[in-house]
Parts: sequence; C-alpha cells; structure tokens
Amino acid sequence: MREKVKQVLTENYPEIDFESSAELVDDGILDSLTMVGIISALSMEFGVVLPYEDIVPENFNSIDAMVELLEKFM
Amino acid sequence: MTYNSLPFVAFFACFAALYLVMPGIRLRQAVILLGSLAFYLFAGSPHALIMIAAVSAVVYAASRAIDRVYAGYESEKEGLTPKEAAALFAGYKKRGRKILVPALLLIAGSLVYVKTARLLGFTQVKSIPDLLSFRTYLVPLGISYYTFSSVGYLLDIYWKKAKCERNWLRLLLCMTFFPHIVQGPISRYDRLLKQLDRLPGFSYERVCFGLQRMLWGYFKKIAVADRIALFTSTVFADIESYAGMEILIAVMLCAVELYADFSGCMDIVLGAAQLMGITLEENFKQPFFSRSAAEFWRRWHITLGAWFKDYIYMPIAMSPRFMKTSVNLRKKHGNRAGQIFSAAVPLAVVWLLTGLWHGTGPDYIVWGCYWGVIIILGTILAPEFKKLAERLRIDTESFGWRLFQMTRTFALFCIGRMLTVTGSLTGFAALVHGLFRNPKLWVLFNGSLYKHGLNQKNFYVVLFGILLIWTADMLQARIRIRENLAAQPIVLRWLVYYAAVLLVLVFGKYGSAFNASDFIYGGF
Repeated sequence: MREKVKQVLTENYPEIDFESSAELVDDGILDSLTMVGIISALSMEFGVVLPYEDIVPENFNSIDAMVELLEKFM
Repeated sequence: MTYNSLPFVAFFACFAALYLVMPGIRLRQAVILLGSLAFYLFAGSPHALIMIAAVSAVVYAASRAIDRVYAGYESEKEGLTPKEAAALFAGYKKRGRKILVPALLLIAGSLVYVKTARLLGFTQVKSIPDLLSFRTYLVPLGISYYTFSSVGYLLDIYWKKAKCERNWLRLLLCMTFFPHIVQGPISRYDRLLKQLDRLPGFSYERVCFGLQRMLWGYFKKIAVADRIALFTSTVFADIESYAGMEILIAVMLCAVELYADFSGCMDIVLGAAQLMGITLEENFKQPFFSRSAAEFWRRWHITLGAWFKDYIYMPIAMSPRFMKTSVNLRKKHGNRAGQIFSAAVPLAVVWLLTGLWHGTGPDYIVWGCYWGVIIILGTILAPEFKKLAERLRIDTESFGWRLFQMTRTFALFCIGRMLTVTGSLTGFAALVHGLFRNPKLWVLFNGSLYKHGLNQKNFYVVLFGILLIWTADMLQARIRIRENLAAQPIVLRWLVYYAAVLLVLVFGKYGSAFNASDFIYGGF
C-alpha cells in the first residue's frame, strides 16, 4: 500500500521529495493546490471518497499519514 | 475613534491599566468584554451594537443547535469502523445543514445587503426606529471581518473541526474584541476562545513587547503612510496636471503607503492583543520580498487568503461532484488536465469573491479578475516557465534573478493598486494615459516634485521611513528583533525606546493643520 501511494505521488508530482519531511504541509512543501491534486489522484487510484472533515494538514504531512487515512476508508 | 487617534490612546491606556491589575481570568475576560463593547459604542454606534449583538445571537443559537444534533452521532458511532462512522456522520450532517444554511444566509446576507444597499440608493440608518424602516441600511463597524469570522466558526462547527462555545457572552467578546474588529485580522473564534481560558497575569516582558509593536505600528502609519498620502492624494486628485514621472512615483508610493498603513495597523492591533496575553494571527510576512504573485498573496493579508482557502477553495475542490469531474478529466486527458481543472476553477471563484469582498464596484471586480488570471496562469504554466528558465540557462537562485522576480511582483501589485486607487475604471485609464503622455524625467532634478503636498525635507523623511521598514522586514526574516533588543544592556535598550518614541513624535503627521487619515482597510 505504502509503495503504491508513493508511486502515485511521485508520478503526479516528480519535483517533490515526499520522504524529505514528516511535516510536508506544515513545512510548506505541500500547498493547498498540491493537496487538492494529491487527493484527486489518490481518490482515482484507490476509489475512495475522503470526507472533507478529514482533509486536515495532519493527514497529509507524510506518506505514512496519507496511507493511514486511505486505509481508514477502504 | 480610530486606532491612530488621541481618544483611542487615552482609552487604551485606561483599559490596559485596569486590565493588568485584574486578578483572575474571569475578571480579565469581563474587562475585555466591557472594553470591547465601550469601544464599539464610541467607534461605531448604538444601532451597530444592536446589529452585532443580533448576529452573535444567531451564530450562538445555530452553533448550539448543530452541536446538539451531533451529540447523537457521538453516542452512536461507538464500535463502528471509520468508514461506517463517516457514513453515519453524513446523515447527521444533513440534519446539521438544515440549521447551518439558514444561519449562513442570514449572516452573509446582512453583509451582501450592506454592500449593495448603497448602490441601490437606500438611506443610511440614523436612529433605532430606522432599523425597521424599508429601504434603509446600516454599516456596522467591522462587518466584513466579523461576518467572515462568524461564517468560518459556524462551518468549523458543522465540519466538527471546532468545539462549540456554550457561553454567548464569550462568543460576543470574540466578535467585538476591540483590537481586531476594525480591520482584522480575520480571527478564528475557536482559537481565540481557547486563549480566553488562559489569559495570563501581568508580565513586564509581554507588556513591553506589545507596546513596542504598537509604537512601530504608529510609526508606519503616522510618520510614513499618512505622510505619503499627502503626495499621492494631491496627484491622484488631478491626474491631468501631472507629468508621467510624477504619476509613476505616486503609483509606487501609494503601494508602499497601503503596506505601511495596513501592516502598521496590524502592528498596533497585534501589539495591543499581545499586551493582554492574546496572540492574534499575523497578517503580513514581508510581502514585497515575494518572488511570485501567488507567494505575494500568501504573505499579504494572510488571514483573508487563509479564510478563502479553508472555506471556499477547499470545499469547492473537495466536493464530490467536483472531485468526480477532476478524476474523469485525469482518466480521459491525463494528470495535467485534472491538475489544471482542480486549480483553475476554485481559484477563479476565490478571486472573483475576493474582488467583491473589497468592493462591489466594477474596479474591484476587474481587480479580482486581474489577480485571478495572473495566479491561475502562473499556476498552470509553472512547468513551462521552469523548462524555459532551464533552456535559457537562468540561475533561478541567483541574487539578480530573485531581485528581478521581486521587482516584477511589486510592479504587478502597483498595476493592481492603479485599478482601484482612483475609485473608478475611468480613473485607471487616466492614470495609464498620464503615465505615458508626458514623462518629463527632469522633474526628478528640478525640484518641481516637491511642490505637490510634500516638500523636499518631507520626501527625505518618507525615504528614511521606507528604508527603516525595509530594514526591519529584512531583519525580521532572519532574527527576532524584540527578543534581541531585550537582551541588550539597559542603557542601550532605553536609548532605542526613547529614539522610537521621538521618531513618532517628531516625524508623525498630526495637529490641527493635518487631518489624520482613517486606516485604508477600515473602509472594507
């Protein structure tokens, strides 16, 4: 699962090193535009609908956080 | 009673003296509430106080009702998987929406009404019975700011991202809190409410830092912004009479004026709140050092941008229908098409609304579209710009390139300012025409520049002020100025304090011959 998520992320945003930080949003590496793109790509790949209540920085700060969020709704 | 008036200084001195000797959190809260209501009464009007109290009652009643609906969800979700809990919550949200939507219509509707009533020729309310008359309107102090904060608070309750406040007076305190009511920052009430629970007692360092920041704000506003206004208002009042070079200088100075005015006010506001032990959100982060338009708007009026991001941009981009269209586009036309769609559409809505928030005239609508187009194009063409820079072998991290990018951002800001500064699009056309009609470069050297509201000595004061603000911004990006100052020997510290007070007293523009300007963003 983790590898698949990482692959989707790097395919869509090759210029971002998603392993460089455990605070991707808080460190400003991911802005809101990128977050929207990531959510759209992950929703397409894994066929999940993420509720807006769960779209918070903590759930996108690292690949592991995103995996955990996806697993909650799969 | 504006923040730069003598009555406010007297009011704040009395308030601070009373607040700082109050023992216990509840008494401090009471002093803030009474102080805020008194400020609202004097700076606004009794009718406006009735209006804001009514809006706070609606916000309170709606948030409590939604909270009561969600109480059922909390007990039912036990033992469910996250997916099942999400499905259950979706049902509760539907019930919550029945309370949320009418409340939002009422609150946001009052702002829309105020913004359009003037255009429709309605008359302004002069007495309390007028409130019930047909075709009248009232502009309560800070309506744009408290409306946005209230809508944000209700939406956070609806999405379960904030805790519901159970005491109406505390919510009223947040809404009327006098440091942020006039021109923001657009506060998040849940964050402010948390701080109210731990209002600290007297601290010399905190009071000192707060007063220092207020003093710095007064310098920016009174010594720099108000002084520049003398020149810009003279030139913009009669554009046809001035040379292109004079108009160019006025345009550049009016951009700096807006920054000194608005960020100066924020320094006063944040300093006043800091004295009470409350940390309000920062609204500026050295915006003129931005390398792109998008970065500029992340560093200028930060709380407005954050509000639009959280309550307009993200809900649109995350809505199931929008997400479905974005996914379909990705499948059919590739990732790039999906990325462009999910960036461009919500941004277009955000910038149209940002324009309307600033004003309902065509100049502000064009202004919103202007920034929207620049930011959308900058976002979707970013990969092409990157490739072009590589092909042209531009070192994008070199000082020269960064300076070019900052100058370009400043130029874009100046053009945006030209769109609205005269109050009409015909004024903008006159400005553009005036810029190129008769440049007269020699006005820089023959002294005629100093005959339009600012003499040579005052021009030098403006340049000194700009240099000081620019240096402070540069230092602020690297070090914590006030903490560093606090670590210096007492003699040096007090020399700096005296020098700062003298700067404001000597260079401040006030007195009977000078008509103190209101803060520019107070008009929104």
